[in-house]
Amino acid sequence: MRNIVLIVDDVEVNRDILAMILEEEYPIIEAENGRVAVELMEKHQDEIAVVLLDLIMPEYDGYAVLETMNERNWINIMPVLVISAEAKGEVEQRCLDLGVSDFIRKPFNAMLRKRVKNIVDLFLYRNQLEEKVEEQTITLKKQNKQLQEQAERLKESNTKIIDILGTVVESRNLESGEHIKRVKGFTRILAEQMQKDYPEYGLTDEKIEIIVSASSLHDIGKIAIPDSILLKPGRLTEEEFACMKTHTIRGDEVLDSIQGVWDEDYDKVSHEICRYHHERYDGRGYPDGLKGEEIPISAQLVGVADVYDALVSERVYKSAFSPDEAFEMIQGGKCGNFSPKILDGFRKVKADFEALNRLQNKPQEQKEM
Amino acid sequence: MTVKECYEALNADYEGTLGRFSMERLVQKFALKFLTDKSYGELVQFMAEENYAEAFRAAHTLKGVSVNLGFTQMYQISDEMTEALRGGKKPEEGLLEKVTEEYQRTVKVLQELAACSA
Repeated sequence: MRNIVLIVDDVEVNRDILAMILEEEYPIIEAENGRVAVELMEKHQDEIAVVLLDLIMPEYDGYAVLETMNERNWINIMPVLVISAEAKGEVEQRCLDLGVSDFIRKPFNAMLRKRVKNIVDLFLYRNQLEEKVEEQTITLKKQNKQLQEQAERLKESNTKIIDILGTVVESRNLESGEHIKRVKGFTRILAEQMQKDYPEYGLTDEKIEIIVSASSLHDIGKIAIPDSILLKPGRLTEEEFACMKTHTIRGDEVLDSIQGVWDEDYDKVSHEICRYHHERYDGRGYPDGLKGEEIPISAQLVGVADVYDALVSERVYKSAFSPDEAFEMIQGGKCGNFSPKILDGFRKVKADFEALNRLQNKPQEQKEM
Repeated sequence: MTVKECYEALNADYEGTLGRFSMERLVQKFALKFLTDKSYGELVQFMAEENYAEAFRAAHTLKGVSVNLGFTQMYQISDEMTEALRGGKKPEEGLLEKVTEEYQRTVKVLQELAACSA
């Protein structure tokens, strides 16, 4: 407990008077010179609430005590009131520079009690505040670490959800795992190119990560399409095709059912991709007939990636087109219809698409050999 | 002799001092401490040695004690002495004698008070 008053004065009468005024409220210790004062401060540094200090003493005077208190950083925990009989500006200035809190004038009177109380309370309050701030800083740091861990875990669970859903699609043999992997790769290549050339889409690194990750869900709605239509080897009837087209809306619905489980950004982007990856820039796509930039950039990117991969892959109902043919069909609007900006980006990454196709489309390579 | 009479004899500030110490008994107790204070003796000694820096300190102390006890005249003359000695200067002739005169007068009255209260 910090409640001791240390009185430092070489004159006994002065010490006695001060002690008499203050002894009702505080335990008092006294020093008759600076040297003894410093020894007492050392010994009671956690208990001294205030130091009443006379300046003019033989040998080790009040200034020397103040300098020592500054050197040992005591001046910040023990306030000092200087006892002085005179009001000389330069003396006060020197004291204040040495960290003195206030002055007590002679003759001593009842105001002194109030002054001592004020300064003791102020320092007590300040020390408590400092302790509290320190405590809160520690708590904040801890909470921040927890938040980071939770964010990390949430990110993990977002990715896990996408992986699980992707696995569902794969395991029903709706799309091959290879297709999903390639669409992801194409989406990333194109997105990174668009990020460089068209900042208006706001494609940050983080957004791209989400789009790429969510691209694997573009056909999730196909789990709701009957096998008889989905796996039909021949041409679909008009009715069957209409049913097939509903995989966009069905995908949207599947994602609705897991809303709130994952991060909002993932949720939003996944919805966009599922529902709109068959929209066309000219407004003649499905399911909603969105036009131009009404189509979210995420769906535009995955749209190209999906079409490109469908073209260069062999399917039950068609053989593979060469990369050059696929490129021309997309640029010429024969397959899909995309924005000029997307087509510009696609043109710039043609070689990268082809490189990825060669790397990931191993079964086809083997066939070609 | 009461403390009040003692203060009146000294032209000292009894009311102010009583106000600060709040009890007559305490005024008396502290007033009598003046008799054991060494600063006057030191002042005389350092003046004889022409050690004006230390003489200043002694005068300063005498002044502080005097003002605390409400000894107005003692305070005034020791204040004059302190200022004359400030910065280690040699004070004008006769000033120490004035201090001595007032000191002896004060001690004499206080000794009477001490004799009454003993």
